[in-house]
Amino acid sequence: MLRTDEILSTIHMLHAEHLDVRTVTLALNIEDCAAPNVEHLCKKLRQKIHSRASRLVEICDKVGTKYGIPVINKRLAITPAATLLAGHGRAAALAMAKTLDAVAAECRVDFIGGFTALVQKGISSGDECVIQSLPEVLAQTQRVCSSVNVASRKAGINVDALHLMGHVLLKIAAATADRRGFGCAKLVTFANIPEDNPFMAGAYMGSGEPEAAVNIGVSGPGVVSSALRRRIALGEKLTLGDLAEEIKITSFRVTRVGELIGREVAQELGVAFGIVDLSLAPTPTVGDSIGEILKTLGISRIGAPGSTAAVAMLNDAVKKGGLFASSSVGGLSGAFIPVSEDATLAEAVGQGHLVLEKLEAMTSVCSVGLDMIAIPGDTPAETIAALIADEMAIGVVNDKTTAVRLIPVPGAKAGDVVDFGGLFGSTPVMEVRNSGASDAFVRFGGRIPAPLQALRN
Amino acid sequence: MSRFPHVYVMNVMSNDHPGIVAAVSEAVESLGGNIDACSQTVLGGYFTLIMIVSVPQPVDPDALAERVRDSGSGNSEYQVMVRPALTTGGFTPGETAGRFVITAFGTDQPGIVRRFSQYLAGKDINIVDLYGDRTGDEFVMIGQVEIPAHWDIRMLQADLEQMGADLGFTVKLQHENVFVATNQLRLTHSPQGLAHHAAH
Repeated sequence: MLRTDEILSTIHMLHAEHLDVRTVTLALNIEDCAAPNVEHLCKKLRQKIHSRASRLVEICDKVGTKYGIPVINKRLAITPAATLLAGHGRAAALAMAKTLDAVAAECRVDFIGGFTALVQKGISSGDECVIQSLPEVLAQTQRVCSSVNVASRKAGINVDALHLMGHVLLKIAAATADRRGFGCAKLVTFANIPEDNPFMAGAYMGSGEPEAAVNIGVSGPGVVSSALRRRIALGEKLTLGDLAEEIKITSFRVTRVGELIGREVAQELGVAFGIVDLSLAPTPTVGDSIGEILKTLGISRIGAPGSTAAVAMLNDAVKKGGLFASSSVGGLSGAFIPVSEDATLAEAVGQGHLVLEKLEAMTSVCSVGLDMIAIPGDTPAETIAALIADEMAIGVVNDKTTAVRLIPVPGAKAGDVVDFGGLFGSTPVMEVRNSGASDAFVRFGGRIPAPLQALRN
Repeated sequence: MSRFPHVYVMNVMSNDHPGIVAAVSEAVESLGGNIDACSQTVLGGYFTLIMIVSVPQPVDPDALAERVRDSGSGNSEYQVMVRPALTTGGFTPGETAGRFVITAFGTDQPGIVRRFSQYLAGKDINIVDLYGDRTGDEFVMIGQVEIPAHWDIRMLQADLEQMGADLGFTVKLQHENVFVATNQLRLTHSPQGLAHHAAH
């Protein structure tokens, strides 16, 4: 029999602290949809996704209702589009993307990830097709998300690829200038991309994955933040160790909820249960913020000295709690610090407390990287590429996933406020210092060799 | 399974103090009896105990009750009731959708427990555990219930939430596994739990 105090503490977490499951992402292998003719390819793609995913939303809602826990987002991820687009051109890429967009809408999911290219060591014809089509694809579709892996511990950093990404990002921004460059928010550039990530825009299905799998993203930082505030309000003398313990316990419980729901959704869908991603993903909702947690931990201005240490502690405690809760941990599993999606971080940028360089330092101890950062629209492609290169270096050398989601906002200057709407939030445009001073470095091109860490065998 | 063939169910109530269980169990033992199962609760300073007792030879339930009553020490008086235990297991639910937890929070007023329990009774939903507590003006009610498999959980949730809203109460009906998962070391009560429940 359950104890009353157990029921009450869970009820508090569910209803007062708004615990939810952030995303249930159904990952599908679509390699069997390859076809020499693009119409045929799109037809197979549509049939396959429909057959597997048409019940996803209904099942998530049913299971969520049974446990009284809302599943906020339902999403799809596919094997990299580049694998199907080898031998095709940009028109085929666009046709495929539009098919994905339509079928995602029919399945009532908000995003479909996997318009992806893996180019850490070199660019194949399919990869080239994906990357070159991105300005049109991201401008002309709503739900399609893209990711490009340009670096890995084993391969090093493909500077040619990230230089290309610098130019492509500017083209995407121009193609979506009417939406303040919003197309760039649906594209993530990675080092060490995880193959089972449920979070957008970087979700895709890796080559070692099963035919289909359900991957779960757990609830956001609001739950952790509330638990910390409640503990502090009790008035006892607490150390950072006590607060880390509180985060760990909360993370355990949050992860358990994710796994419970994920396993049942997978079972009802008749597919494998993949992983629970322990990441704390903020939303623009006030309070659901990593910045808020840092404030609760005593950093009154986000970006002040101590911010990196606080994020490190948070990230570590979340992982420790989550690891014991689930034997199927994967994805990114770290605290995200996406600026526009986190109201407190965006505010810190606006007040001048948080600068790009400090954010970069914070990403070396958490997930995921320079995420949802608006930069001036006139930032040169080489400077964007160099910003990506720095973040990739952090990932490659530290053997972790890092990612960059920069939005060069056409016509905007540092300090202008841009609003991307909904989950993407709003943010002041961040200043990029020393813009234009890295051109020669990037233009050398080639590949930064894999670091010593690659030679572990 | 009982130790001896003649089985009785006994209920003891008293104001709470140390030594009640010791006194009751001594009285049972003095009749050559065995305690097969027991459960106690203390609420508002009062102690209550339910016990399944078996003995080798039949005894008069009232005599057994009297023996236990007499064991009461000095200033405490035990109210004791004994009756022969049912030979079958009593109420057994049909196929269930599993065990669910109803929680209700709101400003206290007479009739809360009645309204909810009458609704559940009308739906043939068995309450297996019930807790209620008034703190300040707030009342909390937690019921653990077994829901027959044929009910649509969403309909029950809507009914209960509506009833709660009429009373100014926040009411939730959730499968127990969410509480197991968030508080205990295992994800669900039984390893087959998910498979079993998902089948419905």
